[in-house]
Amino acid sequence: MLPFVLYFVTAVVTGFHVYTLLSLAVYGVPVNLLELLSLLGSFCLLIAAYVSLFRPHAAARLALLACLVMWSFYAPAIAKIVRTRWAMPAAVSQFMGATSKHSFLRPNRA
Amino acid sequence: MIVPYLAAIVLALATAYSAVVSFRQKPEGEGPRPSWIFPGRTNRPARMFVGFAMLILVIGLGVRFGTNGRNLSPRSFRFLIPEGYRGWVRVEFEIPGVPALQAERGQIVIKIPPSGLLRTSSPEQYGWARDTYFFYSSAGLRPIPDSGPARLIWGKINGESTGSSGKRKYEEFFVGNEQQYKDQIDHPKPKDSSRDSHSPAAIP
Repeated sequence: MLPFVLYFVTAVVTGFHVYTLLSLAVYGVPVNLLELLSLLGSFCLLIAAYVSLFRPHAAARLALLACLVMWSFYAPAIAKIVRTRWAMPAAVSQFMGATSKHSFLRPNRA
Repeated sequence: MIVPYLAAIVLALATAYSAVVSFRQKPEGEGPRPSWIFPGRTNRPARMFVGFAMLILVIGLGVRFGTNGRNLSPRSFRFLIPEGYRGWVRVEFEIPGVPALQAERGQIVIKIPPSGLLRTSSPEQYGWARDTYFFYSSAGLRPIPDSGPARLIWGKINGESTGSSGKRKYEEFFVGNEQQYKDQIDHPKPKDSSRDSHSPAAIP
């Protein structure tokens, strides 16, 4: 049951994570193709979880393929997080966060 | 926000495990003896039970997420503006003690009074949605173009202002042709202190 549990938990957790990212699209966040690929990988991992009950070796190959597909999204994301943590934030970007959101195009009136 | 970290950790574990199993066992012939970490085939009842439970769980999650997605999607506004109105329209949201907006055919109807200012207790809607605009009169409704050469809707903004009456969420846009809109931006009308400070200025 170990491969089943491992694949299943991974599929659910990564699928939920990517789903929450994709759901931000309703707020205008652009959808990244790698997110869709990662969601596909989660689905394949779900299939691999079931297949692992009767064909562990084939399931492992499918799971490995699905994981590699998912890494195409997670690896750049992790790399960016690490780079951001290590890099010093620019003073300009800090200032931008505090500016008024709604002055653009608004005429000078009451 | 633990989910991204958890996702990365379990993904790393699954990758490592599947890689080990893929390159360890042979698909044909005698493989290594099954153990708890590298189990063999499970029996048929167990497979059926797990498969059925998994199907139920996946359908349940799909329904749950699908329902949440529908609830998240914003409803669009249908602005009803007095016929012939030219100038700024402003809608202020979440004002206590004033009527809420009503929904009609999947859209929230905002009927703007001749002053151009509407206050409502309803919350503002965020996200992508296609709003529609109409002039209303005793003769009925007439659609207002919000794109193209005959466009009459300009400078739509939404935001939050802070004043003596506290924070106010609002949405504003200009009704008029391009020249009127540019004139309004280049030569804004002087502030009239006798007017309500939030009352939009209409162009005659």
